[in-house]
Amino acid sequence: MSYFRVNENCDGCLACVENCPASALGCDDQDDRRTLKHNMTKCARCGQCWRVCPQNAIEFQHLLVGQWDKVITLDLIHCRVCGEPLYSPAYRQKVESKLNSASEALCPRHRQSYAASLWPRSGAGRAK
Amino acid sequence: MIVGDLKPLEEIISAIKDYKQVLVLGCGSCVTVCLSGGEKEAEQLSHELSQMQHYKGTPPQFEVGSILRQCERDLVLEYQNIPDGTEAVLSLACGAGVQTLADALEPLPVIPALNTTFLGASDKPGTWTEKCKGCGDCILIHTGGICPIARCAKSLFNGPCGGSKGGYCEVGQGIPCAWAQIVARLKKMDKLHCYEEIHASKNWKPGGAAGLRRRVRTGLGEGSGNR
Repeated sequence: MSYFRVNENCDGCLACVENCPASALGCDDQDDRRTLKHNMTKCARCGQCWRVCPQNAIEFQHLLVGQWDKVITLDLIHCRVCGEPLYSPAYRQKVESKLNSASEALCPRHRQSYAASLWPRSGAGRAK
Repeated sequence: MIVGDLKPLEEIISAIKDYKQVLVLGCGSCVTVCLSGGEKEAEQLSHELSQMQHYKGTPPQFEVGSILRQCERDLVLEYQNIPDGTEAVLSLACGAGVQTLADALEPLPVIPALNTTFLGASDKPGTWTEKCKGCGDCILIHTGGICPIARCAKSLFNGPCGGSKGGYCEVGQGIPCAWAQIVARLKKMDKLHCYEEIHASKNWKPGGAAGLRRRVRTGLGEGSGNR
């Protein structure tokens, strides 16, 4: 995902690189090619590059509003009654080890009705 | 970083009640970090302000937005969209952001939703305390990295007053005595002799007593284009 984007007006003058207060812009000159590079972790999004660019080549909006990058994908366990997303298998294991018992894959609403269903019905069971 | 607190709701309501359409604008920097004026707070505030019970007539219509930094005039002008029909902006930024918006958007009214309070740091999650008064002539080298101007209730320069008890300030509220902390720190650093050094009286001009302060760093150019 590229946050620092330039348009076709960029002529490689390196004004942005020279003027970046955070040293977040750099340049690789190899053979006949010049590559401009940007480091998002150093970038303070101060806008100095955008201000100093003589070609108006920097599309700063992509540093302000951008896409979401996927971080991690895990398996997901759902409520066995209504399908509501609950937790990952690893999290379920953590809960079970803290509670020292197996946990039913149920959402809060269906967990309540399941717990209620375990109680004996009135009139049934022991002595009246 | 700059810390602020949301203004009392009644104060905000009385400032915006007569507008028909208000943009509630958060700021993505300091006030986001101290959980006072970020996008989330802007949305929560807008939701609360939309409740009918706060108004005699119809509540204003609210739009919610947030920009990385409200204190950069050219960024705001270039990238912050003000919806058509907006009659006022309710800004959750610090005073610097509110004023930058007011300059950039004039004559559109820009109303502050926060009370900007101090320059501070986080001691532990959820607690920010004042650390710096921006006096412009830092003496932290002499006080082991603890500022008596910001952290002593009386901004004393020469050690604790008689109200310092058990390491706490007589003002109360669990506020540590800054000078007790300074002495303890200097001891740890083996620099207690600093405590006894005499310094010239402080020049308060760099602290704002001579008018508004500015920093100028040349060589950055005017920027290009039509901004």
